[in-house]
Amino acid sequence: MPITLVNPLNETIREARNAASKLGTLSGKTIGLLDISKPGGSVFLDRLESLLRERHGVASVVRAMKPTFTKPAPEAVIGQLLAARCDAVIEALAD
Amino acid sequence: MLPIHEQAPAFSLADLNGNSLQYAAGKPALLVFFETDCPTCRLTFPYLNKLAKTLAHGSANLIGVSQDSEAATREFVRQMEVAFPVVLDGELAVTRQYDPLAVPTLFLVNAAGKVALTEIAFDKAELNAIAARLCEMTGVEPVIIAEEFDGAPKSKPGCTSRHLEGEAAGAEVAAVDLYSQRGQRASRIEISDDEDPFEYCLKFDNLPVVPPTVERVERMLRATNLPPEEIIARVPPNYGEATVEKIAANAVMAGCQPEMMRVLIPLVRAVCDERFNLHGVQATTHFAAPMIIVNGPIRNELGFACGSNVLSNVARANSTLGRAFQLIITNLGGAKPGVIDMSTLGNPGKFSYCIAENEEVSDWTPLHVQHGFKPDQSAVTLFAAEPPHGVSEHYARDGKTILKAISRSLATVWSYRMCMVFEAFVLMCPEHVKTLQRDGFTKESARQFLFENTGVPIREFVGDGGEGSQLTKMYQQVTIDGEECYRKFASPEQIRIVVTGGTAGKFSAVVGSWAAGPRGSQVVTYPIE
Repeated sequence: MPITLVNPLNETIREARNAASKLGTLSGKTIGLLDISKPGGSVFLDRLESLLRERHGVASVVRAMKPTFTKPAPEAVIGQLLAARCDAVIEALAD
Repeated sequence: MLPIHEQAPAFSLADLNGNSLQYAAGKPALLVFFETDCPTCRLTFPYLNKLAKTLAHGSANLIGVSQDSEAATREFVRQMEVAFPVVLDGELAVTRQYDPLAVPTLFLVNAAGKVALTEIAFDKAELNAIAARLCEMTGVEPVIIAEEFDGAPKSKPGCTSRHLEGEAAGAEVAAVDLYSQRGQRASRIEISDDEDPFEYCLKFDNLPVVPPTVERVERMLRATNLPPEEIIARVPPNYGEATVEKIAANAVMAGCQPEMMRVLIPLVRAVCDERFNLHGVQATTHFAAPMIIVNGPIRNELGFACGSNVLSNVARANSTLGRAFQLIITNLGGAKPGVIDMSTLGNPGKFSYCIAENEEVSDWTPLHVQHGFKPDQSAVTLFAAEPPHGVSEHYARDGKTILKAISRSLATVWSYRMCMVFEAFVLMCPEHVKTLQRDGFTKESARQFLFENTGVPIREFVGDGGEGSQLTKMYQQVTIDGEECYRKFASPEQIRIVVTGGTAGKFSAVVGSWAAGPRGSQVVTYPIE
């Protein structure tokens, strides 16, 4: 005999977003570096910033930091990166 | 998703007239996977109608594959005046084979049955490319089906394909409606005897479940006067809607009795309280799992154990509430273990982690009263907890010696040299409490003693620069028993005592926190009506 179950899983509909298109080159671009505020983040991102500048000729690097790694970035932090009109943002951590 | 050049699987599904419609290689085909409530599907279908009318009759198979019920599909076909055959894949069997990333997804298949082109969501250029290719395959003049300036956008993202719902992650967390309190009724899944119900219910804890049949869920719903579609909370990290009905279905699966809805409703509100930060708790690599502490008359009303074996498997109420709670937060919140929840070692508490306070064994202030509730109120408290760490102390002749033993374990919370930023619960066994009471300690003075006597000797910080040594500038120096130490805790409030456990055995336990306070997870207590 067939039985009918009540679906116990998440059925909340979410809109799918397409991924942003890739940059052809880093040269001349503005790159955001978002530190999630884990202990070693600045060490890692400092190195990344110098590599971006020296090897890839980025025009500028914009640094931002989340107040805590335990929560999603607040709008103020996202706004900071948006205002800088970054071509791409690298979000990173290092423990 | 089925890639280009792959063989498209043949299938046979019912159409809206109850006839079986078969698809197999032999002539070119365009297979369109869609949902009836997807705005992007509605945008796409008029163009597909145009294409269907262009093709010579019988020259190609243009088939819509609906992921929804017959009734919803019939209404969609009527509204959109769909000009080609539509079949029903409500069980998503064919969907799973083709595995579209979103809806609508179009698979253009050549006469040999190989996928030639695909299109996900809506894009005019891609639609025109598919139309041109299909016209070429069937030998008719190519047509532009999507004109550039016809009022529709050039492209539009689609919706999550039904077979991926419930596991949606990361990039798909968008368009969250955080305000309405009325959600949808849960869908129904019809299965035959030879199908395994666990396939549909058991997602994340890999243990058998009670099948959430309509009858069982209705019994659960009758124990609350809330409407089934009312949204109690949206569960992070995917913010799935925890409707009363979804909570009830998961409670059935965990084996709860209907009266448990009284606890589950405030518990779901509590865990989704922003202060608790479930997003972080579910996404951390740390051990954290929410530990439930039940206080007040509800313990006796629903049979919560607060005596021997309180942390384990002694009472149906503790075991089933803890498990229902985990099923709810993972099934609806989407923190799938090994995918979103990447905890390094995990925590056995993720199966069930529910204790109650043994309020009768002492006259110490119960936890919920310390948190502002009345003694005759019932309440549920949540703490983002590590697994418990035992403290055996059978030799102490007085209360202070017991507290000193506990303070030495408290010093190791998080890791030994990490001070000031973590919290702890002390689960104090009745025999220890008895001695402490004899010596005049209250819960508050015992906590103060633990705060003052828990430290890490400064000599431990010489040299290596490991974890904890980076924060010494913010640490407070204090002398404990003649030894120069850093205080372990920033304030007595970072330590909470719960009296619990059996009356035999001098075993207490220390339970460490995850990141605590406003930058991490804060302890929350909610009343039970």
